[in-house]
Amino acid sequence: MASVLVPVFYVLIVFGGLFLFGRFYRKSTANKRIDPYFPRHHERDTYVTLLQRTDPPASDALLKAALVRRAIADVQRILRLREDKQALQNLLQKGSVGDDLWNSLLAAEKELEAEIVEVHAEANSFVEGWGHVLFQTASEMLANEKTRVIVEQIPLERARNEAKFGKGLPGTTQAPPVAASAPSGPTTPKSSAATKSPSSLAPPAPSAGTDGVSSEGEASPRNRSAKKSKKRK
Amino acid sequence: MASPPQPQQQTMQAQVPQQILPRPDPVMQAVIEADFRPVDLTLDSTNVAALCAVHSREKCDECDVDYTQLNRLSKVLAANPTLLCPPPPNVVNQKLSQIINQTKEEGNALFRTHQWEKAIGRYTQAAGFATQRAPWEAQQFMREELSTVLSNRSAAYFEHGELVSALTDAEAVIQLKKPWSKGHFRKAKALVALGYLPQAREAVQYGLQFDPTNVEMMGVLQDIELVLRSYADQPRPDNALSATGNAA
Repeated sequence: MASVLVPVFYVLIVFGGLFLFGRFYRKSTANKRIDPYFPRHHERDTYVTLLQRTDPPASDALLKAALVRRAIADVQRILRLREDKQALQNLLQKGSVGDDLWNSLLAAEKELEAEIVEVHAEANSFVEGWGHVLFQTASEMLANEKTRVIVEQIPLERARNEAKFGKGLPGTTQAPPVAASAPSGPTTPKSSAATKSPSSLAPPAPSAGTDGVSSEGEASPRNRSAKKSKKRK
Repeated sequence: MASPPQPQQQTMQAQVPQQILPRPDPVMQAVIEADFRPVDLTLDSTNVAALCAVHSREKCDECDVDYTQLNRLSKVLAANPTLLCPPPPNVVNQKLSQIINQTKEEGNALFRTHQWEKAIGRYTQAAGFATQRAPWEAQQFMREELSTVLSNRSAAYFEHGELVSALTDAEAVIQLKKPWSKGHFRKAKALVALGYLPQAREAVQYGLQFDPTNVEMMGVLQDIELVLRSYADQPRPDNALSATGNAA
């Protein structure tokens, strides 16, 4: 009656269907886009563009500088990735974020590792043994830039503080914010603070004169250092 | 483009312990290379600086590029042909350290003889020299020098009477070296002299978090508390804003 082939066909169809489904599903997940974790790596693009330039070729100094900038960007990414990984793990455990972000981070980590190896190799191609030193240099340069920015911001901060607190020169009366402390009035804290403060204020000098002298004294070295120091990127 | 990388024992950063570099993954390298998009730039006449192609400028807001730091480093390297690459961070310019130290000592001497303005000028000079340090030298030198110089300058401003500048310098010192008690101390003194006692108290308490046993700061805190308590206890008769706290 029923031929022997029927169960065979049945088994073939079932397993064949499963197999095909598995193949298509695996293909679709493999091709699924992972959102990049970091924005574009400008320094890498700059470096490769300069490398490929042949007419006229970029000077060695420029290439090395571009490589150093690329290393600095990589070091920044390493630090950021390290902090983010820990935080993201916690969030993931609590269930606040989905898996996509975690996958992006893992992919970014892998790419960063490959990038570091590549930068290392490029550095060694310029100067033998430089790769080892390059990343140390890069992290020191990063920290130095931060320090420089702090110092450069001092004049800006001074202007903001002057707006907030008043000029603060001897002989001028201050008006501390009334809402800050209920019992203190506008003029009384100044007079008692003046008597209470351990070091006496200098006798009221002609404010215009001293201000002019000291700000002139600051202006020229500051301009010099501002020209030499790095700007915020 | 990339020469065959060599897996070696490396330190990737000063803070990271020794790690063996993983073998390069050709798949990832292909991904990186596929990710590349050429940048629109040109070189200047000496081939030492990069400029944006459209406007030939170092820093161009329209093209959203900023090559100033790149070009600065490149010019430094080009100007010193003996310098093959930025040296390791422990190579420090000793002469610059001496100059900075010398200027700072001159400022200290002027400070001791109460010549505030000249001391301020010297300290500003020393700070300028410190910022001119080569960027690849170990960061603690610049940081140390700057924090001491700025702290002394803050003291000089305070003695001279320019309290806002003293406050600004003290805040910069705190940003440079948070755990250092001197920065917090100077900030608190400046605020007290300006008359903003609650802020001064906050500053002292914040500083005491880092250094709970600091005697100077505790003294300042006690002074502040005394003054504030005296206001709360005795409402001044000439002042409508007494303990009732009605702000105008």
